Amino acid sequence: MNSRMINWFSQSWMVLVYIFLYMPIVTLVIFSFNDSQLVTVWSHASMRWYVALMGDGDLISAVALSLKIAFFSALISVFFGVFTAFCLNRYKRFVGRTLLSSMAATPLVMPDVIVGLSLLLMLVSMQHWLGYPERGLFTILLGHALLGTAYATVVVTSRLREMDSKLDEAAMDLGCQPLQVFRLVTLPLLLPALVSAFLLTFTLSFDDVVLSSFLSGPGYSTMPMVIFSRARLGLNPTINAVATVTIVVVTCAVIASSFYTSHQERKRRREVAQAYSDSNK
Amino acid sequence: MNNMTNYLRRFFNGRHLVIGIPYLWFLMLALVPLFIVLKISVSEMESTSVSNMVSWSQGWPSIKLNFASYVFIGSDELYVKAYLSSLNYALLTTVICLVIGYPFAYFMARSPKHLQPMLLMLIMLPFWTSFLLRIYAWKTLLVSNGVINNVLMSLGIIKLPLEMMNTPFSLMVGMVYSYLPFMILPLYANLSKLDMRYLEAAADLGTSPLKAFWLITVPLSKAGIIAGAMLVFIPAVGEYVIPELLGGPNTLMIGRVLWDEFFSNNDWPMASAVAVVMILLIMLPMAIYNKYQSEQLEPKP
Amino acid sequence: MAIAPRANAVREDLLRVEGVTKIFDGIVKAVDNVSLTVATGEIFALLGGSGCGKSTLLRMLAGFEAPTQGKIFLAGEDITNLPPYQRPINMMFQSYALFPHLTVWENIAFGLRRDHMPKAQLIERVESMLSLVQLTKYAKRKPHQLSGGQQQRVALARSLAKRPKLLLLDEPLGALDKKLRETTQLELVNIIEEVGVTCVLVTHDQEEAMTMASRIAVMSEGYFLQIGSPDEVYEMPNSRQVADFIGNVNIFDGVVEEDESDHVTIRSADCLHYVGHGISGNSGMVVGVALRPEKILLSKEKPAGTFNWCEGEVTEIAYFGAYTTYHLKLKSGKVIKAQELNNTRDLSCGLTWGDSAFAQWSDLAMVVLTQ
Repeated sequence: MNSRMINWFSQSWMVLVYIFLYMPIVTLVIFSFNDSQLVTVWSHASMRWYVALMGDGDLISAVALSLKIAFFSALISVFFGVFTAFCLNRYKRFVGRTLLSSMAATPLVMPDVIVGLSLLLMLVSMQHWLGYPERGLFTILLGHALLGTAYATVVVTSRLREMDSKLDEAAMDLGCQPLQVFRLVTLPLLLPALVSAFLLTFTLSFDDVVLSSFLSGPGYSTMPMVIFSRARLGLNPTINAVATVTIVVVTCAVIASSFYTSHQERKRRREVAQAYSDSNK
Repeated sequence: MNNMTNYLRRFFNGRHLVIGIPYLWFLMLALVPLFIVLKISVSEMESTSVSNMVSWSQGWPSIKLNFASYVFIGSDELYVKAYLSSLNYALLTTVICLVIGYPFAYFMARSPKHLQPMLLMLIMLPFWTSFLLRIYAWKTLLVSNGVINNVLMSLGIIKLPLEMMNTPFSLMVGMVYSYLPFMILPLYANLSKLDMRYLEAAADLGTSPLKAFWLITVPLSKAGIIAGAMLVFIPAVGEYVIPELLGGPNTLMIGRVLWDEFFSNNDWPMASAVAVVMILLIMLPMAIYNKYQSEQLEPKP
Repeated sequence: MAIAPRANAVREDLLRVEGVTKIFDGIVKAVDNVSLTVATGEIFALLGGSGCGKSTLLRMLAGFEAPTQGKIFLAGEDITNLPPYQRPINMMFQSYALFPHLTVWENIAFGLRRDHMPKAQLIERVESMLSLVQLTKYAKRKPHQLSGGQQQRVALARSLAKRPKLLLLDEPLGALDKKLRETTQLELVNIIEEVGVTCVLVTHDQEEAMTMASRIAVMSEGYFLQIGSPDEVYEMPNSRQVADFIGNVNIFDGVVEEDESDHVTIRSADCLHYVGHGISGNSGMVVGVALRPEKILLSKEKPAGTFNWCEGEVTEIAYFGAYTTYHLKLKSGKVIKAQELNNTRDLSCGLTWGDSAFAQWSDLAMVVLTQ
């Protein structure tokens, strides 16, 4: 094999994988503008399903519930994620450290059905003993926050690992008490990681169907639950419309944020180069 | 030398609080529930109603261990088959993801530096959009009057529509599709850190590129392969949504069995027992993954 | 290029370290029963290779590590158990540890704000610090927008801003390239002298320690080998280890033959040494004779007299520009180094590889090492 063939091979491999990844998404979007009742046969372009979506009260209230849960579960996840990451990163030795790190890693891989079942059984027994909590928004929130905390921990940890622990010492040396070190140095430097952890856990929650199905009570259907129950029954063009709306929103957000970070990075590199050439004049 | 711990141990009185908060959180939501599952799986099952919960609230001593559910799982062919076919599908998914994902991650890591963030973002992007909707999209592609069949028939390649939906094929497409990014991301993270000088040194010592790949690149990316494989295999064993939407009524996977025991039969001890056996099956891969993950979470030396 | 130590008369002790030991994990003895005093206004250097315990000692002074045993006093007050944020000690960190999210101005003001200094006074103090390190026009920049030398000055200003009683410097020039070091070194000492702060600095670079410090403690494996002024440590090392660590040295193993109060003679394998001062020892004692390469004069002619010369073959010549180092292989097989100044443009003594040459030195050039 010569290098041109290798190049050709690698490029077509990558293109095929991207096609595989994007084909369903693209079809979903295209057929959301299809006028036909049949999801898979193109008749002509129309906004019919978007109009239907506007009138779909069930779906809209499910979206509202999902957004609410996603927002709060992301907040809680980031909060506990910071604590967990901080403990695992800054305290090298404490009793049960391995247990904590295993517990934090477990929800990442444990099948959703098990997490959902076990959480539900715990909440039911809690309710039995304490009379609280009722199954509903709060219980879904707990489940999502557990899953989110595990992901937030990974994101925050990788940032903490990059951070120079000398900065903490410098702050202490200049008169900061430990809590002030955290507030004035660690937290501001963690901020970008907190933002990405928030976004990640928000989407995780917004996307979850299994945990929600286990944990929700009567009258609490999240958007994925509604979509799932409709998709089980068959194909439904309104789902295409919902999908297109979420895809557009998420894509814009992801692209915008990645442009912002790469712009910041480029600016920073330019400034570093500038500083060195200035000082050599 | 850089021993913050000692210092903090003496001066930071809030240390216990700082450790206590996440500890309590995970204990309550991750560990205790698993024990409750274990406990319920060996509880009496008087009726299928919620009232049977009372039987185990009387405290430990009064509870008779009841292994009926486990005996049933062992004796009923359905459960054994479901476990085996779950493991089988999960393994197949992992292998296919590795075969597709490894070359991809490798090519991605070797592509021009300025393109890499873009390529990475393109892998991440579907990951950010709803998993459920993407699985649903495959349904519209794969059904007998679906997009793929329509395109193939209008091009005259096939006369009759292919029966792809509700088969092991559609299940595997959905599984590989969903889990591929989980394979690619750790592999890419690993391969992009690979020092090219090793390969140059190997070439310098007279190794052919293909041999260098086997002798150097693959062994050095072992951590990435393990992480990727575990990230795919473990959740795939218990997958519920994909077989439910794409697998049709005849694909047997243990996640669905658990779901049905719980939601349709309302048999909580049985569902718990199914879960416990599932946990036992994925315990080993999970331990491997946890070891890898906690190494990742370690502070830098 | 030694900067002359400040000539002060009687000074009181500012820092006193008494029998400090640090054991990590119950087994690793990083610092082993170390005592020292540093006088007000002094620049004191802890010099040693990596893992010698110098950084651990510095971190104990700063308060980041607690001594396993021993006490630390600052201006007569026991600070052993004081946390870093309560010590009137500030540190300039290795590779600076400037806060990346704060501007130069905010970095310098950081410590002052923790003390709730009144605003007017704070502004005045920060401005004066900025002008001290000549960075006034960079006040609004972030650390990454500065060159290495400028970052180093910000770090210095930040650590001086609180007017600490004691300034700790951790490898202050370690992150700079070689050329920048010399000028920065002078600048740093000038600023420290201007402020008049007492300093303890840690370095592995002997040249840095010699030029900056008024006293040096040479450390190895957790304890002090020798404490003294730079010239004492260089010219009068008390042990083979110190002689070997500071600069280049040739050591002849020999036996004392004649032990008088004003001189000793020592016989080694290749030559007879006549040392022009008495030693604390007796005849028959096994000693080492340390001789710095730059104190050796090479020639092709055999020197007169019986003492303080030897003959050998030139095996290696390394040209350094200002001087040349020759390796001379003696009859016993021992190789010695000799440094000759290149004070003319043709290579002075005209020696080349394989030549046989004579090395000679004066009776005050040697140090007798009894340990």
